[in-house]
Amino acid sequence: MNWFGWLHDFFADPAHRSGPDSILDRVLEHLAFSAEALVLAALLAVPLGLLIGYTGRGLFLVTALTGIARALPTLGLVTLAVLLAGVGDTAVLLPLTALAAPPLLVATAEGIRGTDPDVRDAARGIGLTHPQTLFQVCLPAALPTLLAGARTAAVQVIATATVAAYVGLGGLGRYVIDGLATRDFPTTVGGALLVVLLAVAVQLLFALLIRYATPRGARTAHVDEPAGSPALSKESI
Amino acid sequence: MIRFEGAAKRHPDGTVAVRGLDLDVPAGRTTVLVGPSGCGKTTILRMVNRMVVPTGGRVLLDGADVATLPAAQLRRGIGYVIQQAGLFPHRRVIDNVATVPRLLGWDRKRARARAAELLELVGLPPETARRYPAQLSGGQQQRVGVARALAADPPVLLMDEPFSAVDPLVRAGLQEELLRLQAELGKTVLFVTHDIEEAVRLGDRVVVLREHGEIAQLADPHTLLTAPADAGVAAFLGRDRGLRGLGLRPAADVPLAKLEPVHDGWQLTLDQDGRPEHWLHDGQRHPVPVFAPARDTLRSALDAAVLSPSGHAVAVDADGRAIGTASRAAVVAALAAPGTPEPDAHDSGPPESDAHESGAHESGAHGSGAQVNHAGR
Amino acid sequence: MLDGEPLVRWHWLGDHLGYLAGLTGDHAVIALVPVLIGLLLAVPLGLACTRWPRLYQPLAAVFNVVYALPSLAVFVVLIPYTGLATRETVMVPLTFYALAVLLPTTVDGLRAVPEPVRQAATAMGYGPWHRLAAVELPAAVPYLIAGLRVAAVSSISLAAVGALIGRGGLGYLFVDGFQRTFPTPILAGIVLVALLALVCDLLLVAARRLLAPWATGVAR
Repeated sequence: MNWFGWLHDFFADPAHRSGPDSILDRVLEHLAFSAEALVLAALLAVPLGLLIGYTGRGLFLVTALTGIARALPTLGLVTLAVLLAGVGDTAVLLPLTALAAPPLLVATAEGIRGTDPDVRDAARGIGLTHPQTLFQVCLPAALPTLLAGARTAAVQVIATATVAAYVGLGGLGRYVIDGLATRDFPTTVGGALLVVLLAVAVQLLFALLIRYATPRGARTAHVDEPAGSPALSKESI
Repeated sequence: MIRFEGAAKRHPDGTVAVRGLDLDVPAGRTTVLVGPSGCGKTTILRMVNRMVVPTGGRVLLDGADVATLPAAQLRRGIGYVIQQAGLFPHRRVIDNVATVPRLLGWDRKRARARAAELLELVGLPPETARRYPAQLSGGQQQRVGVARALAADPPVLLMDEPFSAVDPLVRAGLQEELLRLQAELGKTVLFVTHDIEEAVRLGDRVVVLREHGEIAQLADPHTLLTAPADAGVAAFLGRDRGLRGLGLRPAADVPLAKLEPVHDGWQLTLDQDGRPEHWLHDGQRHPVPVFAPARDTLRSALDAAVLSPSGHAVAVDADGRAIGTASRAAVVAALAAPGTPEPDAHDSGPPESDAHESGAHESGAHGSGAQVNHAGR
Repeated sequence: MLDGEPLVRWHWLGDHLGYLAGLTGDHAVIALVPVLIGLLLAVPLGLACTRWPRLYQPLAAVFNVVYALPSLAVFVVLIPYTGLATRETVMVPLTFYALAVLLPTTVDGLRAVPEPVRQAATAMGYGPWHRLAAVELPAAVPYLIAGLRVAAVSSISLAAVGALIGRGGLGYLFVDGFQRTFPTPILAGIVLVALLALVCDLLLVAARRLLAPWATGVAR
């Protein structure tokens, strides 16, 4: 057997063309589930990250939390969650969200924290309130960092969702796990290839998003020019 | 000796950094290159150790074209001090200083012993040797930078704005230290700065550059300040170059009046050792501005006279004991005398020839300062 | 659901100490040898990228993508070459993941040497390669160790996924516990993986104290 043969078998299989085990359904399943976990994680992590980054309190906790999250084996969490909460998508959603949250939290907090202090001072100086400073000045500047964190989280979720097929979750992981169980190599390899393609596509999407967000960040960084330097130069003259 | 023969540097993009420089840098003296940013002074400096390769002309070091010497060997024989010190963050201070001796093949023990010697020479306490650069203050790092440059006892020292990143107080201390070191070691120093104050303070000769490394004037500091070559140099020297020139003349030129208990209605009180305490006037105490003729410059004397509430500056000896006074008029009279470049070149007080100066100054000085005639030390 | 099965059966742990130790050892080899190989590749590659900066951009882009590939998928794709349930099938991808973390940190570290330091070294007579080895590389050690900490911890947690293709060290405890609806080995596995990661991390922190005392001594 060779790659060409395997892939041909995989894509030619009628079951993979339509029905519940079709490639399109599996991709959509995978994406929907990953997006759900990502949105849940973002709802938790972004507000908290904004708060921690802006106040500067609890940064140490955030770093420690990410370290721990990185050390936890995803397969262990997924199997344990299903044993404790029962087979079903909700049981898997929990560890997935928990794994996606730390990179988002850290990126948000550090992105906000990393805003040029002079820009923040200038914003406060020209009369912006704290929430205005946070949302109009810090957040746009932190957006590229935040999106980079979201990319890490998305990649993590897509990978873990693949693994979670082992405990019964749908999506592309089904091909890999079912193929392994039945020694059906074309299915396993075809599924793996699709997972790789999906991960690369999501990476590209985020790369585009980050590129789109960066000029905005740069524009915000320029806030200090009208607010800061003319006043300064007038004084020095 | 370093000789630049039509040395030029044109960047690949066509911009000219140095058009073609002819300059002799005499051995054993300090030559300062000073000029606005972008005048090519750093480029000129870096031609000497071949960090910049000239695109025209040549640079000779003791008669040998530096382009013909192997770069590494050439550089190990030239000390180089830069603005940010450039210390190796991963090496202790002592090993930073020992770098070049080690590169020259000295064994570790000898190199470290030499390094310890140099740390002492630049005025760093022995306990700094074991520290890492990031544990030192900016001024200390700069001292280590100087020590490192001197470690292999190179005859030539290149210094590229070495003191401009430290605060003014520390800078003054480092400049003082460099003058002391240079008096002791007599290196051929080529020093780059944009600060004219620093240039006239440190240089035996000052080269004022305008753009493309063209020499606007080459002179000793005193000549530079009193006789700028053209309006451009005068503008660069600044409006108060006359005052700055006073900083190069010894306060010993000021004729002193005998110490009197009362001057123009102001009473001077001394402590038991004879150090000035207060000027008393209408029952009020006022501070006593002083200057030390043996050590200070005319500028300090003028400053003390201007600041003194009584109009008289008090002269003190090395121990701070009052030895005489000088009225503002007396100080001004001393200013009017032709200047002398070196503070230690003069040994006695009253200027002898007021003849060259304008009558107005002269009569003013004598009119209000009768006690000048009693000058004595 | 557990149907009365307790969360932890302590006596099972007591009965299987040797077995758990064996799995931990296997796990450490599978996870950490790739990190070491990654380091051995990252340093010369990083040096080359510093010397020839044009090399870095494309390499970084490739490893950026590699790092984002889901581990299970990569294991599976390798099976035809390295075999099912072999160490190599797990270790080869882990090496690439480690390299993907270590190459940027190596390059960052080598570039972190401030320009004045570089110039001072050149002015004292260091050639380019000599300077890389004597100045830039030692100064990059704190960065390298920071990269190693991330790489080692990630590698340890990723290796467990190998259990799904039959070779995952401690990861086997998750598969085993799940199939038998028996949470004790799963919990033991999670704790042991985390402990292994923690021990590695502490060792690396100690190594930084030893190898780069200027970086720790300075952290005021």
